[in-house]
Amino acid sequence: MKQQFTTTHQDHRVALLAALAISIHIIESAFPSPLPGIKPGLANVITLFTFIMYGWRTALQVSLLRVVISSLVLGTFLSPTFLLSLSGALLSLSSLILVQFLFRLLPISPPGAIGYAVVAAISHMSGQFFIAWYFFIPHPGLFKLLPIFITFAVILGIVSGIITQLIIKTIKSETT
Amino acid sequence: MQLEKILTLSKELLKPADILIMISAGLLSIWLYSFFWFDNNQQGKADTLLVQFAENLPQEYPLNQARLIKIQGHIGPSLIEIKQGKARFIHSACRNKFCVFHGWLSVSGDTSACLPNRISITLKGTRNQYDAIAGGQ
Repeated sequence: MKQQFTTTHQDHRVALLAALAISIHIIESAFPSPLPGIKPGLANVITLFTFIMYGWRTALQVSLLRVVISSLVLGTFLSPTFLLSLSGALLSLSSLILVQFLFRLLPISPPGAIGYAVVAAISHMSGQFFIAWYFFIPHPGLFKLLPIFITFAVILGIVSGIITQLIIKTIKSETT
Repeated sequence: MQLEKILTLSKELLKPADILIMISAGLLSIWLYSFFWFDNNQQGKADTLLVQFAENLPQEYPLNQARLIKIQGHIGPSLIEIKQGKARFIHSACRNKFCVFHGWLSVSGDTSACLPNRISITLKGTRNQYDAIAGGQ
């Protein structure tokens, strides 16, 4: 029996964005990090971009694909690194959804890419931190590192937010 | 010219909600610094005193009842006092008395030792007593 396999425009979009995110993730993992635990997280730019342009469903697909496939390529699938990556990605996306929902209730216009990026970076970092603390190093001394991590998360979040905003601006000006 | 460009760009980039989020993120990190770096009370209360002599197993004493512990060390007796959830050396047979001058131990993880006498005391809470584990709970 011959089966017809059709793909939609949405599938193509997810595949393209996921491929971009995976490439960025893998290239980024080749560079050594200045401090253990702190990475620029440029792959999150793609997740953010997807979230702002196409909504959370597409962003969820893209970010899950990114986590699973790049861990397969890097050889960390189902390892602690994978668990950290997955928890960070899921928590950051769910807090993005939460923030979007909250700003719908508030009488302020929703945040742009920078606000979302800061929220994503902080929640990504704290999600990873709590998983690391709960499963791998359950020592109260670990919490002394949390302020440093969160500070870097805010700074790097602002940077990736600016990048995302510039990408969105460029794409919007090209399509119109 | 360059400055104007940057200013218009930043106006496009930043919405009020972004500024709100950034300010709260900054406040969050300041609060985290003050909470985890400059507050000693969050270190978990201690409820047990461990007294160890040489390679023997440490002996446990509850901190909630006052008592004097006399223990024979390597060069002579040491006297340890437990009072109001704190503990200290009040006498030791050693020469320098560093352990006595160290004063009260009150926070979980605090340690004082009399090296010549080979006696050490450590405060411990019932929770968070491991420093690393392999596998989940």
